[in-house]
Amino acid sequence: MSEATVIKPDLQFVNEIIKGGGESLKKCYQCATCSVVCNVTPEGNPFPRKEMVLAQWGQKDKLIASPDVWLCHQCSDCTAYCPRGAKPGEVLNAIRKQSIKHVAMVPFLAKVATDAKLLPILFAIPMVLFYAILVVLGNGNFSAPRAEGNIMAYHKFVPVPVIDTVFILTAIFAAASAFVGIKRLWSGMKAQAGELKSTGSLGGDIISSVTTILAHSKFADCNVNRMRQWGHMLLFYSFIGLAVVTTWAIVYLYGFELLGIKPFGPFHFGESPYPNSDPVKILALISSIAFAAGVVILLLNRFAKAGKAGMGSYFDWIFLLIVVGVGATGMLSWALRLADMSAGYLVYYFHLVFIWSLFAYAPYSKFAHLFYRTTAMVFARHSGRDKK
Amino acid sequence: MEKKFGVYICKGCGIKEAMDVEKVAGAAKKVQNYKFHDALCSPEGVQLIKDDMAKEGVNTVIIAACSPRVKYEEFDFPGALVERVNIREFVAWTMEPNTDATNDAAYDYLNMGIVRTQKGDLPEPNILPDLSSTILVIGGGIAGMTAALSAADAGQKVVLVEKDAQLGGIVNKLYKKIPTGSYINKPLVVDTDIAKTVSEVESNPNIKVYKSTTVSKTDGQPGLYDVTLSNGETMKIGAIVMASGWKPYDASKLDYLGYGKMKNVVTNFELEEIAKKNNGKLLRPSDGKPAMKVAFVQCAGQRDPNHLPYCSSMCCATSLKQAQYVRQNEDALAMIFYKDIRTPGRTELYYKEAQNNPGVMLTKADVTGISEAVNGNLYVEMENTLFGMKTGEKVKVEADLVVLATGMVPTTRGPQEYADGLTKAAGAGDEAKKNYLDQTPKPDYILNLGYRQGPEIPTLEGASGFADSNFICFQYETRRTGIYAAGGVHQPMNMAEAQEDGAGAAFKAIQAIDHVARGVAVHPRAWDVTFPDPMLIKCTACKRCTEECPFGAIDEDEKGIPFYKINRCRRCGTCMGACPERIVSFKDYSVDIVGSMLKAIDVPDDEDTFRIACLVCENDSYPALDTAAISRKKIDPSVRFVSMRCLGGMNLVWVADALSKGIDGMLLLGCKFGENYQCHFVKGSELANTRFSKVSETLNRLQLESERVQLMQIAINEYDKLPDMINEFVEKVKEIGPNPFKSM
Repeated sequence: MSEATVIKPDLQFVNEIIKGGGESLKKCYQCATCSVVCNVTPEGNPFPRKEMVLAQWGQKDKLIASPDVWLCHQCSDCTAYCPRGAKPGEVLNAIRKQSIKHVAMVPFLAKVATDAKLLPILFAIPMVLFYAILVVLGNGNFSAPRAEGNIMAYHKFVPVPVIDTVFILTAIFAAASAFVGIKRLWSGMKAQAGELKSTGSLGGDIISSVTTILAHSKFADCNVNRMRQWGHMLLFYSFIGLAVVTTWAIVYLYGFELLGIKPFGPFHFGESPYPNSDPVKILALISSIAFAAGVVILLLNRFAKAGKAGMGSYFDWIFLLIVVGVGATGMLSWALRLADMSAGYLVYYFHLVFIWSLFAYAPYSKFAHLFYRTTAMVFARHSGRDKK
Repeated sequence: MEKKFGVYICKGCGIKEAMDVEKVAGAAKKVQNYKFHDALCSPEGVQLIKDDMAKEGVNTVIIAACSPRVKYEEFDFPGALVERVNIREFVAWTMEPNTDATNDAAYDYLNMGIVRTQKGDLPEPNILPDLSSTILVIGGGIAGMTAALSAADAGQKVVLVEKDAQLGGIVNKLYKKIPTGSYINKPLVVDTDIAKTVSEVESNPNIKVYKSTTVSKTDGQPGLYDVTLSNGETMKIGAIVMASGWKPYDASKLDYLGYGKMKNVVTNFELEEIAKKNNGKLLRPSDGKPAMKVAFVQCAGQRDPNHLPYCSSMCCATSLKQAQYVRQNEDALAMIFYKDIRTPGRTELYYKEAQNNPGVMLTKADVTGISEAVNGNLYVEMENTLFGMKTGEKVKVEADLVVLATGMVPTTRGPQEYADGLTKAAGAGDEAKKNYLDQTPKPDYILNLGYRQGPEIPTLEGASGFADSNFICFQYETRRTGIYAAGGVHQPMNMAEAQEDGAGAAFKAIQAIDHVARGVAVHPRAWDVTFPDPMLIKCTACKRCTEECPFGAIDEDEKGIPFYKINRCRRCGTCMGACPERIVSFKDYSVDIVGSMLKAIDVPDDEDTFRIACLVCENDSYPALDTAAISRKKIDPSVRFVSMRCLGGMNLVWVADALSKGIDGMLLLGCKFGENYQCHFVKGSELANTRFSKVSETLNRLQLESERVQLMQIAINEYDKLPDMINEFVEKVKEIGPNPFKSM
């Protein structure tokens, strides 16, 4: 006779989930309609029914390192069909938030990124940081430094090397955070799964997971939130586009000097601002439009489906706010520069604040799903949990 | 009464299009007076009959029109013997129009109707003298008190007898109750307020309360009960509400759950006592410390064939309520382990609200045992939880107090078990019976009836001792007319349901008193003024009637001669079917009347024309036939239906009557019997089936195939299948061939 597993209820964890966007958790009465309607779950021992009861009993260890919690794409089919209004989609989102917190390298940042009460601190950190930089640079009064020809140029406001230094350090910090988080999540999942029934190579599993992500094919399995596939896809590819733009800009900036490349054709090398005919500018513009369209689709979809899928929690909205903030301040500062309005400098300051928030909080906010869902998808494939 | 016949043939509703009404009227020639009308139920048609009654002295009215189940208000002629001949549903709507066979069928039906009135007589009600209208309520719990108050409010005198020293019953033991009304944003536990109800009862001028008192004898019949109380007082009672309640299941039988062995394992009732005693604090028995992790084990004995095979329906809601007691301390946990949460009716909404508390945790689980942990704590051991474990994986949860959600045992169960044991012992011989009587302690009887069939209400098979009724049709009826069960003795139920049940039973008691005062049957033939009138001079004291009466309406005198207590009788005619001497008759229903109707069916000599007689139970099969007719389902025109009050009245002599006359086959249509019986009279069709097993003797004597006679069980909703079943039977009889007695 095998020894019985001891279940220890954890009321505090239950309360954390309830307060963190899972208000409906206690309504679940385990009918498993959710697991039946879910098209994303693996077939054996499907989610989210079991996650609901585990959450009701505060089974923290089982949840914070569960691949299933991350395999969920929050289609909200479960929420739409739940006969009790228990909104499993939202509850799993709240559990993911806990998961982010518990694998975080700097737990304080996870708290800042997820707790509505700490919203002022969330923005105060980059605002103070960049204001201090401006004060050091002598631009603390938001005066409008001009480049040659009396044109507005943000690199005169905050020089590019300063930006690069700050953001490269931030990126390194974010990457380290993500690495630590992924490692903790992976070992947690491994500990829970017991022995891995790995069949393929890890590399192959990573490639097939990334292929799935690029194709957004999991989103295609959703019913209620079908439109989200397109919104998310636009947003996803716009981020890739903007990442290319950023890299490209670095190449322009340093390629010119370090590698001695000369401008050719439409390609402008050297410092910004670039002319609007430059391919990098065109890519930036296309990405920006895709970004805006994606955000609009996601927002409209969320409002339209609020009745069925729920309105989401602070955790979702703060991420969306940062994303929209990056885009809006970016486009507005570009437009103000073209219009030659010096208010652009203030907007640009906020642009930097938002971008920093996006980067620095990435492994601590909802943005972390980029790392952790990918990790879970690879783990699910690698452990034989998900055959697809 | 000199009978003056009037036959009225309706031509409406498709009748005249389906048959030659002049030919049909040929059957009425022998009584001379017959008339046609285009729509007999119209005011003019009804006036035609009334005029004939007034001017020509018609007192025996035969109406050949629609089913007697419709237009009964139009065709109500007080003072006249009225016979309804159903040529619309049985002929016009179910047979091919305008064929000889159709005309013959209508002719036969009219003829049978006339024969019935020729043989029958106008019934007069039998109203017994000196009737009492006082209602006795046994049991002063919430159901009994509600019954008493409801009856008293309706102007009835009530006697309430309570065994305990105070009124209130089980509710007295509760700390709080589940509120009634909306649960949303309301407190989930409220005071029971039982004292208020108790004082309402005690101060009501219509209610006389006896405490610390039981009923030691109940003799007589509805309207005329002679009740003796344990204090020696005697009284006349009209009707009785039995609300003697229930007891919690004996948890000491649940040793696998640690009860009796581990101090901190208590029952749900003990938890109420703990809460009540400590003003809401749940202090555990072992060390008096407040319980912080309370485990509730649902179905502690319930739904377990070794303990209580049924669901007690209130224990899930009770545990959800007690979980709120636990959660008065916000750090405390209530953990509920269930087989299924069963919260019937509105309590489902309570479940929703009660569950919506972070510290009320639930999971399905098969609890396999309780074991000791440290410091008096316990482990609840279980399998098959919802936690996503592997199959067969064992789980345990630590608790500092374990509450067993035990179920309800009706107070009728003891007497029932005693009676069952006695029957079994008696079956093993006289000595075994004597031993049983000597050695088995007497149970606590509730009614102490002086009935030939025993001192208590016979419970239904599978009712586990509850004084339940046929729940489909008759909520409060027990098998003792005039005695109505309410509350936990009736069915497992919660407090709110018990109150509703008490009120319902009180009104049934009032109805019984009203009906016996008018000399009509109490139930279910609530209009019927006829009554069984046996010709006792011919009785052989065989006791079949006294044994078979489903309602114990017949006692016996010293010589074993049946003694009918008419007010207990429900007029089903089971005694009529039981009697080998055929001496039991009603004014309009007797062995002779039905036999003569069967003999009135015209049986042509020719070998190709078949006749099938079909005895139909009026409660299920007859309505099913009417419904089939409404859907215009075709039935073989060789069939002749004869309505029976209950198939329990089926007398074997009719088989001989019909078949010796040349009728080719006989079909008996009765209700479903067995576990999910649907008989209005408990086991009429089952009795018919038992008697029917002897039919082959009769047929062998006549040298006929036993397949010519068949009994079928029909539920009222099987109307769509019924015509085919009948037609198939007709085909089977045709295969056997014509009855050789036909040409004799």
